[in-house]
Amino acid sequence: MSRTSDEEGGSPERDEASADEQAQFSALLEDSAEDLYERAPCGYLSTQLDGRIAKVNTTLLDWLGYEPGELVGHKHFSDLLTVGGRLYHETHFAPLLRMQGEISGIALELKAANGARLPVLVTSTVKTSSDGQPLLIRTTVFDARDRRAYETELLRARQQAEEERARLQRLNTTLQKTLLPPALANVPGLDVSAHYHIASTDEVGGDFYDLFPLAAGTWGLFLGDVCGKGAMAAAVTSLARYTLRAAAVYDPDPAAVLDNLNTVLNHEYNGTDPRFCTVVFGLLTPDHDEGGFRVTLASGGHPPALLMRADGTADYLTTPGGQLIGVLPDVDIATTTVRLAPGDTLLLHTDGLTEAHINSDAEDGERYGDDALLDFADALAPTTASDTISAIRDLLDKLGSGVDDDTAVLAIHVPQPPSDEHQ
Amino acid sequence: MTPDLTLRTRTTPAGAVIELAGELDHHTADQVRAALPGLDLHSGQQLVLDLDGITLFDSSGVTVLIAARNHARAADASIALASVPNCVSRIFRRVGLEQVFTTHPTAQAAEAAWRPPSS
Repeated sequence: MSRTSDEEGGSPERDEASADEQAQFSALLEDSAEDLYERAPCGYLSTQLDGRIAKVNTTLLDWLGYEPGELVGHKHFSDLLTVGGRLYHETHFAPLLRMQGEISGIALELKAANGARLPVLVTSTVKTSSDGQPLLIRTTVFDARDRRAYETELLRARQQAEEERARLQRLNTTLQKTLLPPALANVPGLDVSAHYHIASTDEVGGDFYDLFPLAAGTWGLFLGDVCGKGAMAAAVTSLARYTLRAAAVYDPDPAAVLDNLNTVLNHEYNGTDPRFCTVVFGLLTPDHDEGGFRVTLASGGHPPALLMRADGTADYLTTPGGQLIGVLPDVDIATTTVRLAPGDTLLLHTDGLTEAHINSDAEDGERYGDDALLDFADALAPTTASDTISAIRDLLDKLGSGVDDDTAVLAIHVPQPPSDEHQ
Repeated sequence: MTPDLTLRTRTTPAGAVIELAGELDHHTADQVRAALPGLDLHSGQQLVLDLDGITLFDSSGVTVLIAARNHARAADASIALASVPNCVSRIFRRVGLEQVFTTHPTAQAAEAAWRPPSS
């Protein structure tokens, strides 16, 4: 309908429209209270105090498929409920209504004449006489089928999301395992142990380690930490692991191995999405002259290794100046060489341990730190590889949710010769 | 939700300045990365990252600073950090980056230290 002439007051069209409105308004005024009760968009029900139905409106009768005579005077409100609903009515609804005089928005299920179930929201009030004596109970009943369908749908979506999450966590855990060696190489004359602590199964972490044979009588080992989490970090971790092993075969000099890794990562990930890792690479050779092993460690920006000696002392093997691997075209790599005498234990770790929050409540609180780890190692020495790893696992348990990043630890220990054991 | 990181960029004769405040970690790193291509940065200029308001910094923050360095280099510009807080310098020392970035006590000092390329 065109309304362009509306601006001009008194036009015939305008008069017609206002007459229509008047007629509609009059009709509203003439809506009888009786009809409003009978055909309201909700069910009405009045019962005696014992629940016997005294009055019920047409809307509710239609919903349930009853004739007026079937309910009034014959049935109680609780007769309209399902078994579970009746129990709830007896134990909660009715007592609360008696105590409070009203109860609202209770979800119940009504049973229709044909046995169908109708989810509803029920509100009841007790009508009292002028001197406060309870007379009857008035109840309104709202159709909750749409709401129930919505809730069922929400529940289904939530269950599906939980299943997906569980599936993702299983996938992450599997992926994590493929980034770690299934078993560490057995080195004659060396006791080896390692542990990987997963901080969250929601995302794959980027820590890695390995110990593997090189040319006869030499062994390579590494432990590192790729920046970031998730699939991209896992891809870098995988590349780093295989590059380190391949580079060590080509040239086992630890600084050269890390230099090679730096070149590979820097070529692969430059520009706006640089990826780096920090890593310690070690070359192990048995010391045939003095016993034990010699180990040369090269560090690319990684936390220093800890040496726990047979005499009960502990120190960091610092490699100052070593730089993170993968983002600078030329990196400085620092190396140090140490002899592992019988009874000595060497521990490599990632900073998930030292960066752990001591007070897990505080988001930005104090960290566990390098000094605390040195004290821990000092108290532990002399020790073995497996005892070190189990002590670290206890420590991680104690730090609990304060450990918010993955942590990898690798310990190697030169056992005392059997003849020295009693000294 | 309040933003974990606030980022402001401004342009000086010496080059673009990015002021960062709040938490620079794996949740917010992409925000800084996304701001790099839109910078007004020319050959011979200096990109300054003012870290005065940084309260939390992790390894993802390191990758962002490296990305900024790569971006500056691609534009034939230099990069400098200003007002480096302890949480950043601690990680820099740890991963051996303390010699890689030129640092200044303030963004003003960084601007004052810049010299136009001699032609």
